[in-house]
Amino acid sequence: MVKADQIVCKYIHLNIQGIEYRVFYEEAGTGIPIIAQHSGGGDGLEWHFMLNNPEITSRYRIIAPCLPYHGYSLPPESEEWWKQEYRLKKSFFMEFELALSHALGLDRPVYIGCYVGGNLGLDLAFDYPDEFRAVIGVGAALSSGQPTLDTFYHPNVSNHYRMVNSFYFCAPLTPEKYRREIAWCCMQCAAPTTKGDLYYYFYEHDLRGKAQFIDTSKCAVYLLTGDYDPTISVEDTLIMANQIEGSKFTEMKGLSHSSMAENPPVFTKYLMPILDEIANQPTKK
Amino acid sequence: MAVRFIDPKNTAAYKDYLNADPEFKIAARYMTKDVCIEVGNTKCIVKFRDGIVTQIKSENAFADPWDFAIRASEDAWEKFLMPIPPRFYDGIFGGMVRGNFRLEGDTISAFSHFWAVTRMLDIFRELQNK
Repeated sequence: MVKADQIVCKYIHLNIQGIEYRVFYEEAGTGIPIIAQHSGGGDGLEWHFMLNNPEITSRYRIIAPCLPYHGYSLPPESEEWWKQEYRLKKSFFMEFELALSHALGLDRPVYIGCYVGGNLGLDLAFDYPDEFRAVIGVGAALSSGQPTLDTFYHPNVSNHYRMVNSFYFCAPLTPEKYRREIAWCCMQCAAPTTKGDLYYYFYEHDLRGKAQFIDTSKCAVYLLTGDYDPTISVEDTLIMANQIEGSKFTEMKGLSHSSMAENPPVFTKYLMPILDEIANQPTKK
Repeated sequence: MAVRFIDPKNTAAYKDYLNADPEFKIAARYMTKDVCIEVGNTKCIVKFRDGIVTQIKSENAFADPWDFAIRASEDAWEKFLMPIPPRFYDGIFGGMVRGNFRLEGDTISAFSHFWAVTRMLDIFRELQNK
């Protein structure tokens, strides 16, 4: 008998800000829809453990897209994209999630994202609280400063730099095989794409002075941060959590920057109570 | 806990251990740089030539040139070298983000050869706890 994952891969064409994009996504499970957004410089592979977890897919429909310019979602054919620097803008990022949700006919999906994707969850909760029943921000914070990003895309710096960073951003007790896999996946993303994604993360995401206006009665907010993450610390996330009334924060012990892929059983242990709580929310029309 | 990689009694053996490590050999290929590692006030220079560590110099290295330097307090290095380091001391880049380590000099070169540098420090941790 042939062993096969129960994941279906598809392409869907989305029109975002006047441009058509051929978007790749993976899908598994049935039930409450969850859009699982990958982090900066990554792709949908980050979620493959969740897509393959029957504890989750027996009750939830996971949809893990690759943003344009990432993974199997190529840059748009209609644009001379090679003549400009790729930059992920907040407006595009949010409209992408909405376009995907609407195109698939999702009824107020759950959104989960990590790092760059995690921050987007909070931006979605602020700007589009009626579109999502809940957001789960993994490694999210109010803002992250504005460092120089040149080393992420520099003629003298290869993608090994990103591989090394992602390897060492894992917590010390991360199983070696998962750590190597995370590093390998990270290395596959094009360098200009990583730099461009971090533009949103460092320069466009800023909820200072705004987070307190997120209405968790419309869109529940859950925050998960690994205790070893040096980029967004537990303390950073707590500052934001304390400003969002009704939000729920959990510190993930022994996890770090790529928590959903570092140690899937441990991450699932933190995720399942949140999903259970979301599933037991009264249905809103 | 004394930091063993800067002890002159260990540097020759550490050099050989580095050059014998399969991952380090791949990571360090083409590297010709002098890397300064500063532990508190003590400096050692790791000299790479075409991917091979030719010398780890920790005695009389005060005037030796270097391309880039990784500096931290002795306390920070001791934490980094623990078998399971505490958070923000478990990786150089993360440690830099949190202000526990500093990278100075030709930082582009440092990032070009980041894999070799970080693998080297992993091996130092291994040897520290042997």
